[in-house]
Amino acid sequence: MSRNRNSRHGKSKITVGEKGRQVLENIDENNRVIKMFLGFRKELDEKHDRYEKIVKLSRDITIENKRIIFLLHSTNTDIEGKREAVLDEACKRLKVITDENFKTIASILKDFDSYQYQKAYTSGLQEFIEALVFYQFLHSNKIESWESINKFFQYEQDGEKFSLLFPQLDFILGIADFTGELMRRCINNLGVGNVSDCFKTCNFVKDIYTGFLGIINPGAKEMGRKTYVLKQSLAKMELVCYNIQIRGSEIPKHMLVNVIESSDMNTEEDEGFY
Amino acid sequence: MSSDNILENIFTPFQECINNEQDVREEIRNIMKDIEKPLREIVTTLQIIHRTHNGEEISAACFAARELFESVRAGYEKLDGVVPAGQYYRYNDHWRFATQRLCFLAALIIFLEKGFLVDKETTAQILGLHEKSRLHLDLEDYLMGLLNLATELSRFAVNSVTYGDYNRPLQISKFVAELNAGFRLLNLKNDSLRKRFDALKYDVKKIEEVVYDLSLRGLVPNRGEVVE
Repeated sequence: MSRNRNSRHGKSKITVGEKGRQVLENIDENNRVIKMFLGFRKELDEKHDRYEKIVKLSRDITIENKRIIFLLHSTNTDIEGKREAVLDEACKRLKVITDENFKTIASILKDFDSYQYQKAYTSGLQEFIEALVFYQFLHSNKIESWESINKFFQYEQDGEKFSLLFPQLDFILGIADFTGELMRRCINNLGVGNVSDCFKTCNFVKDIYTGFLGIINPGAKEMGRKTYVLKQSLAKMELVCYNIQIRGSEIPKHMLVNVIESSDMNTEEDEGFY
Repeated sequence: MSSDNILENIFTPFQECINNEQDVREEIRNIMKDIEKPLREIVTTLQIIHRTHNGEEISAACFAARELFESVRAGYEKLDGVVPAGQYYRYNDHWRFATQRLCFLAALIIFLEKGFLVDKETTAQILGLHEKSRLHLDLEDYLMGLLNLATELSRFAVNSVTYGDYNRPLQISKFVAELNAGFRLLNLKNDSLRKRFDALKYDVKKIEEVVYDLSLRGLVPNRGEVVE
């Protein structure tokens, strides 16, 4: 653009941007403004690097948790010994995640305001809660409170104590994701003809859904979205239970699953691990 | 596990946690009203620069604005007592925007009074965010304020020509060119600061066009030299 104007005015040396160029030509490393901004660059780069590092760590955590969830689905078996072995392995792997992966994040953040970086690891944390709660449900048929899970995130190294910020919101959202796994398990139960577990699982999800309905939380969009998915999962499970009740005597149990699968309930929003 | 247990162990504590958070937010919102009122007044006070060439009037406006900053500092002092320790970034949504505008206003005052770019430390002092236990001046808020300053100065350049101050656009041009050079050093992520920075080139262009129009007509005093 400056070129156009320049040519229009023939010999005149005056151009748009001349002033700016003059200034830029005279700027060197000793310029006060430049010195200031070099300092800012360092500060911003450090912050961005730290953030990216945590995002990467969180991604690893997410992957491992998806694997654990997949492993936990294989407890859906009649062989008691195998079930125990799977639960033991899941427990060990979950412990590695808290004691190593999350500890690394906590140690990076111990001198910073964790809320600034919380978004970087929130997905890993929610996925972890999903796996952990699934494990607790299979192992002892209950969910521990936030307070007791938060204890896993208290660390001590070389006499120095630090902890990972574990927002209650992530805990609740992790539980919401966990109900998707219960839905999958409920259907699988039916597949192997384990009808009583179907009812049990469905009731458990009903309780969780009740809890979600009772929460008033302005300003948490994600909650609403997840409650909606939860509602759909629950509807699917309730339909399963209904079918068992009403048609259970008509066709073999393991064939019931086909009846339910063929009904056009498409609620697979959570991608799970394949 | 009965349904009562799930409600009692999981959801009741969560609702309590939400309620506590809402209480803190409510308190912060109330304090922000105390900060936003003088903020608006400073904005209107300083608009005088677009109407007059009179140096005395401008310094009087700067003086009045500095007095208003007293209430801003009192507001941040109060806020510092409400924000829980180590949770600046949990609640900073409430004051981020106001802080950015105040940074802009502080930078404008210093530009009008001294002609140079205010540093971050001084800005924090003007806002009353220095040496606070829980609050601090976030670098990105300060930078955002500087970008807003560039936009204001591009308008100032146009208007100063209108009332016959041909030296001002040159001063602004040099100032913003330096600022632009500074921002170019930063590695910005694809965030709001980056988007705001992308608009800086329009301000630079506008100011350059004003300077160009002056140069073309031989209206530039001591061409090439800027009185600081």
